[in-house]
Amino acid sequence: MVLTHTTNHTYTHPFPTVTLAFFLRYYSPQLNPFSAHVLSTDTIESHVDPETGRLYTTRIHLKKSRMPSAIIKLLPTSVTGGAGEKSTYVLENSVVDIREGWMKTESRNLNFTGVLSVTESQHYSANPPEQADLASALSAAAARPPMSSNTWVSTTFSYRSTLGSRKADKAAAANEENARKPFGWISGWGAKRIQSSIETIASTKTDDQMVKSRDGMKMVLERLRSNGVVAVLRELNRREGKGVFEA
Amino acid sequence: MSASLAPECNEVKEPEYLRGNGNTDDNECATMFKDYQKCLQVALQERKIDKLLNEAREDSKEHDSTHLKRK
Repeated sequence: MVLTHTTNHTYTHPFPTVTLAFFLRYYSPQLNPFSAHVLSTDTIESHVDPETGRLYTTRIHLKKSRMPSAIIKLLPTSVTGGAGEKSTYVLENSVVDIREGWMKTESRNLNFTGVLSVTESQHYSANPPEQADLASALSAAAARPPMSSNTWVSTTFSYRSTLGSRKADKAAAANEENARKPFGWISGWGAKRIQSSIETIASTKTDDQMVKSRDGMKMVLERLRSNGVVAVLRELNRREGKGVFEA
Repeated sequence: MSASLAPECNEVKEPEYLRGNGNTDDNECATMFKDYQKCLQVALQERKIDKLLNEAREDSKEHDSTHLKRK
């Protein structure tokens, strides 16, 4: 079972500012008060494709887990991934095409995948959804569309619980009977019920979290709009007592 | 500056490499980014995150292929 949920949102900021806010959203709790649960952020890959000019970035964020610790304690380490009982590693892949005016991102959890895999896919565009295809066609023909002062984003969350049925998806596809056989410590149809409850609970929790994530983006965007990126970063570094961005 | 998952890499993490600087691979930022990546690679291995990464990549490949088949 996979549960998916899509929402649309419009930021009243131009596309380049929104992409910048995306990369800065976990920079510091001072910049984004809703990022206090993010313990660390690392860029493990970043390159610009010389042909397309697209920026590819892979980051790992370590977030405080929102899963109740009582549940975590009950789970075997083979399920939690053994990466610290209360933290979740999140892998974030993104591609930005600043010329065509779009950004695609995908985030997913790296541990706890034995319980639940959550994937958040976002599509940001400098053009409203109905014009996006037209705009990229125009831009391919080297006629760049005028930059809108808004940015449209579509977010899809998908939830897949594989609790107690490691690789059960594959097994079930190969042989329907296999799904009924016991797998580990939770099995058969009981596991399916638990899986779908986990998916539903996670989906309900995310709605609340998504509002916060959006509010966080908005705070970063407002600061960028009123002060500009250099001033914002310089101020944050000054508070930390570092002169990193002094040129 | 957001922290690194590996405290030992914080030093080389700054200043953060914010934007891909075109095709220039030999600028100052690129060198710093490489040092930081080197540090990070070791940290990822120590924490066995590299294994989780590979699993995630394998998994997404599988999903991509099933996704494409459906279309």
